[in-house]
Amino acid sequence: MIHRFSYTAPTELTDLLALLETAGPGAKLLAGGTDLLVNIRNGLVKPNTVVDVKRIPEAHAIMSDNTKGLRIGWAVTINDILKNTDIASSYQLLQTCAHDLASYQVRNRATVVGNIVNASPCSDMAPALLCLDASIEIASSKAYRTVPVRQFFTGVKRTVLNPDEMVIGITIPIQSKGAKGKYRKLKRIQGHDLGIIGVAVAQVGDGMRIGVSSAAPTPVATGNLPLDISVSDAIAVVDALISPISDVRCTKEYRRFMVSEFTRRLLVEVRA
Amino acid sequence: MRINVTVNGIAYERDVAENRTLLRFLREDLGLTGTKEGCGAGECGACTVFFNGKTVNSCMVLAVEANEGTIETIEGESSGGMLSTLQEAFDRHHAVQCGFCTAGMIMSARELIHHTPHPTVDQIQEGLEGNFCRCTGYEQIIEAVLDVTGGYTAKEELLHV
Repeated sequence: MIHRFSYTAPTELTDLLALLETAGPGAKLLAGGTDLLVNIRNGLVKPNTVVDVKRIPEAHAIMSDNTKGLRIGWAVTINDILKNTDIASSYQLLQTCAHDLASYQVRNRATVVGNIVNASPCSDMAPALLCLDASIEIASSKAYRTVPVRQFFTGVKRTVLNPDEMVIGITIPIQSKGAKGKYRKLKRIQGHDLGIIGVAVAQVGDGMRIGVSSAAPTPVATGNLPLDISVSDAIAVVDALISPISDVRCTKEYRRFMVSEFTRRLLVEVRA
Repeated sequence: MRINVTVNGIAYERDVAENRTLLRFLREDLGLTGTKEGCGAGECGACTVFFNGKTVNSCMVLAVEANEGTIETIEGESSGGMLSTLQEAFDRHHAVQCGFCTAGMIMSARELIHHTPHPTVDQIQEGLEGNFCRCTGYEQIIEAVLDVTGGYTAKEELLHV
C-alpha cells in the first residue's frame, strides 16, 4: 500500500471513544479489514490514522440471555456467529445469512458490525438483522444511544453514525428468539460472490417478515405481515418496497423479477 | 512500529511500516515467499495463512495487527525435509499444476480438515471456495483432500466442479 497512516490499537473502550472524538474524520476504524484495507489499497480511502478495535476483550463477546435476547460485540466475526451453538438453536436466520457471506477466510475476519456499518446495499447480514428487529448500540465519549436497524441505514454507504460515534454492539430482542427463516442469495457462481439480490423470509412470533438486499439504496424489510398472507400479496408488498437499479451485475427488471420469485419460493419453504 | 510475531514457531522482532500488509511482511521482510499475492483484494486466496489459528487472506491483514500473534505459512507445513501427509496427497493426485494457488490451498485444506475431519465433496468445495485455481485442477485437489480424510476410493467418479 502506498498511502501511509499511523496505527493504534486501544485496549479500553473509553480510550477508543476518546480517540475517536479527537481524531476527526481522518481516523478510520479497523475491525476485519476486508473492506477498509482493500479501499485503502485502491486509493478510495486515505485515513491518517487506522484505529484497530479488536484489542478490547468485550468486543468479541456473544451473549445469549433468556430475558434480554442476544448481544453481539463489535468485533464478533461471521465465523464466530456460525460456530455459536446458542445462535444455531435460537437465532438460526443469522447463521443462514452468515453462511452466504464471502469465503471461509473472509468470514474468519469480517465482522457483523462491519457488515452493517459499511452500509452496502448488498449486505448479507442486514436482511436477517432487519427481520429479527435488531437494535444497534451506538456510543461516543459523551453519549450512548440505540437505534433500530430499520433506521440505521440512510443511503448507499451512509448511516446515522456521527463522526465521533461507533457501533459497540447489536442486540436481537428475545421476541425474535426461535424465529424460523431462510435466506436466498442470487449469485453467478455457487461459491464466493457478491449478491445480485438477496431475500430473507422469516416467521417471527405471529408475523411474517421479508428482508431484501441489493434491490434498493439500503437493505430493506417489510413490517409484520400476517402469517397466512398470500404469495401474491407478499410479493406486492415487497415489490413496493424495492427500487432496484441496473448495473454491471444485472438489469433492474431482472432484479425486480428475482426478488418476487425468491419471495414466492421462500414463503413456501418457510411455511413447509 | 516494532512488532513481535511468531512465524512457524520462530519468534521475530521487526520494525515494520504501519501500512505494510502481513503478506508483504512475510514475503519481503522475512523472505517467506511460499505465500503468494494474487488479487490483493481477498478474492483469490493465494495469500492464505494461519493467523492465531485461523485462516485469513494475508493481503487484507496489516503486519502490525499480528503483533504478539502467531502465524503459520506453507513453509511450516513440511518438517525435517519430509512433506506433510496433505502435501504428499497433493503430489500423488497431481493436485499441483502451476503451483501458484497451492500454498493457499494447503492452508485452507488444513483448516477444513481441522474442523471437519471427514468432509464430503460438498464440504470440501465450500472449505476451498475462497481459493481459486486458474489451471482449473479442482478435481485433483478435492481428491487429495478426500484421500487424507478417508473419503477417497480410486474407483470413485467425482462430479465436475
